[in-house]
Amino acid sequence: MIAPEPPVPVPTRFVPPPGTAPIVQLRGIAKYFPGVIANEDVDLDVMPGEIHALLGENGAGKSTLMNILTGIYQPDAGEIVIDGYPQSFASPVEAIAAGIGMVHQHFKLVKAFTVAENIHLGWSDTPRAVSAAVLERRTAELAQALNLTVDPAARIGELSTGEQQRVEILRVLTRKARVLILDEPTAVLTPAEAHELFRALKDFVARGNAVIFISHKLDEVLEISDRVTVLRGGRKVATEQTAGCTETSLARLMVGREIVLSDMRGRSAGAAPIGAPVMTLEDIRADDGQGHVVLDGLSLVLRAGEILGIAGVAGNGQKELTQVITGMRQAASGRILVDGADFSRAGAAEFADFGVGHIPEDRLHSGLAPSLSITDNAVLREYDRPPLSGGFGFNGRAATALAKDIAEAASVTVPDFGMPVRNLSGGNQQRLVARREMRIASRVLVAAYPSRGLDVGAINMMMRYLVELRDKGVAVLFISEELEELLNLSDRIAVMFHGRVMGVVDTAEADIDTIGLMMGGKRLTDDAKGRGH
Amino acid sequence: MAYRIQRIPSAPPSVALAARGLAIVLALVTAGIVLAALGFNPLALGWQVLRTTFGSSYGLEDVGLLVIPLIFTGLAVAVGQKIGAQNIGAEGQFYAGAFAATGVALFVPGPMAVILPLMFVAGAIGGAIWILIPTLARAYADVNELITTLLLNFVATLLVYWVATGPWLDPSGRALATTARLPHEVPEFWGIVHWGLPVAVVVVLLVGALFAFTRWGYEVRIAGSNPQAARYAGMPFRRHLIMVMLLSGAIAGLAGMFEVAGTVHRLQGGISNNFGYLGIMVAVLARASPIGVLPAAALMAIILNSGIVLQTQGITVSTVLAITGLILFYTAIGDELARYRIVRA
Repeated sequence: MIAPEPPVPVPTRFVPPPGTAPIVQLRGIAKYFPGVIANEDVDLDVMPGEIHALLGENGAGKSTLMNILTGIYQPDAGEIVIDGYPQSFASPVEAIAAGIGMVHQHFKLVKAFTVAENIHLGWSDTPRAVSAAVLERRTAELAQALNLTVDPAARIGELSTGEQQRVEILRVLTRKARVLILDEPTAVLTPAEAHELFRALKDFVARGNAVIFISHKLDEVLEISDRVTVLRGGRKVATEQTAGCTETSLARLMVGREIVLSDMRGRSAGAAPIGAPVMTLEDIRADDGQGHVVLDGLSLVLRAGEILGIAGVAGNGQKELTQVITGMRQAASGRILVDGADFSRAGAAEFADFGVGHIPEDRLHSGLAPSLSITDNAVLREYDRPPLSGGFGFNGRAATALAKDIAEAASVTVPDFGMPVRNLSGGNQQRLVARREMRIASRVLVAAYPSRGLDVGAINMMMRYLVELRDKGVAVLFISEELEELLNLSDRIAVMFHGRVMGVVDTAEADIDTIGLMMGGKRLTDDAKGRGH
Repeated sequence: MAYRIQRIPSAPPSVALAARGLAIVLALVTAGIVLAALGFNPLALGWQVLRTTFGSSYGLEDVGLLVIPLIFTGLAVAVGQKIGAQNIGAEGQFYAGAFAATGVALFVPGPMAVILPLMFVAGAIGGAIWILIPTLARAYADVNELITTLLLNFVATLLVYWVATGPWLDPSGRALATTARLPHEVPEFWGIVHWGLPVAVVVVLLVGALFAFTRWGYEVRIAGSNPQAARYAGMPFRRHLIMVMLLSGAIAGLAGMFEVAGTVHRLQGGISNNFGYLGIMVAVLARASPIGVLPAAALMAIILNSGIVLQTQGITVSTVLAITGLILFYTAIGDELARYRIVRA
């Protein structure tokens, strides 16, 4: 067992003299992608000596905003002001020259090189002709000056993730960065490593620098930051002094309260009632193939004519859950019962034959063949049955006819069905996949983030699709990060955290604050309302 | 007025075709400039090439003979690409097919009507066996087939050298480095052009139909475009990969079989004439489309034949190879540039 960590020693705080300009100021930043508002009218100011947390769900626009600040994207509107002077960065190189550096979630290090070599790679300060010893000595000096412990001679591939992250931070800081942006830095760290990181960050800002800390974990935002800015749907919701916040208040800001979409839980007269269990998952465990447990004893029941919502921050096992219940991934242990039959060892084809449709999270990369025609993609689920195929053949004309039907049902205008599907916009791809899957989803539909990347009108249409299936008696598993969507649509909501179900609540009795807390890793206690499982 | 360059996901067919034509013209212009610098008159040479190739039935027959192995090897590489496998080993499979067909011809007695089809089958099996190990290594251990198929080329080349100069050397003593003349040969139907040509065209059409009009072909296309999507739809990716790679090897083996049984009539070292490697270029020009292999192989055959004509005019074979390389080079650039357009900012 690791001994309890001593509290982070707080170095002397840096207090900027009155009248100091913010080190970074963003004014009215907007960024649009085709069919998507990534950022709109976002203001942000970061003072010297401050750790500023940027909080929001996945897709809230945090990464886009930081990519604009570091010159990876150009804003469509608004301006970037550094130390009181407007700037525009055409590339990350220009941003780092102005003192703004970012440590990405996926490290950009050369694994076969040593720490010293990585630090000096692509750096104008690197001496032209040097020996390994000189590089290592320089690295050791830099590391000591910046108070980050690294072994300059170690190869990156041999280091732990936490150590690699320290090398990344060192690399940014040696370029004289005054603003360090960290994108979900603790996602890859053990608690002890996170603790060490926090100490290094406090050191860094105590020297008059600033940190922008992107996260969706409430507890660490409260622990590390001085102020917190919350983004939702690409817009800024609030900037608060962290001292005045609680997990509950932050959760509420992050997931939002206002209900924009209408409640769709009501059933029409002819709709199928909630029926018997169609699919039952019992104590499912799975790993990601690299030894990390991604599903950790998960149990769920899907009932006919019911929408079961899955809430939770992305990356807590949702993707693996969709793979396990569509036969794309075998669980390491546990049972999957489908209509009472054991499907634990069944493959994707057997699940599809049973009537399981699947709108995957990453449609272009797992649900479509981007370079093939719209027709080929539209018929992916029905190519093996009449009229397309009687066994051996493949009837291209019937395929085009089916593709036309699907495109029409999805209200997608297709000029040419022979055109590669990647030429369609993301929203149209999504609608096409959704309609394709609905056709085979006679018993179960698994919909992972079906509204991601869609505008409000298209989201409404997608929600109506799910309701349509529910009313036909199909069991719908609906995974989303938008709590309001989940509340509008689901009959029950299960909250996932670290591959487990934290609790299942009836939507009618659901309390948004409780769900927010479960998303942050708090288990549903007995006194909470709507205990369902 | 500001303009900027925009990348589009895929080029419209007309633009892509125009870029192809431009690439060939540019390659020829570049070659012409080089020839002029070497002291030749490029226009006169060009006329000479055209007249020799198209002006007589001999020229056309030469092209017809060259196109046969190019169709097979080009198709072999294109078939592999359908499922995302890079078969760089058509050269080795060519040798293996020629070797197996020769073995049947030399050592299995029987009437031609039996032995020729048997040689056909042996050629295909020989090519398939030669790609078997790379195929299994890729399918079960994810070993890059690019390296394994390439390395096996050298093994096959040397193996054929050895049998042709050793165990299978012509016992009559008249030939120093080849086997005896095969007792059976693919009959000719037009001058020196043998029935390998119509067979090659039929094989292309069959393979094209296999990919376009069968359920299996559809699954292979999906798996080649995105293995993830194949897994998602429950298709057996590994089984398809194995079958497609073996098919690719078998087709390359047929190239060797027809070359030895229809054109050369003896197995000898160097019989492949780089047809296996040229097949890669044919497949690139065809954009991995089976039907596209036909015009691409024809173009390549014309270039090769022009090279022979140029050599008679005192131009080295390296210059000819440089021209083929230039065409590939400009085509690659053209294919990429066709995906850009200029828009008003």
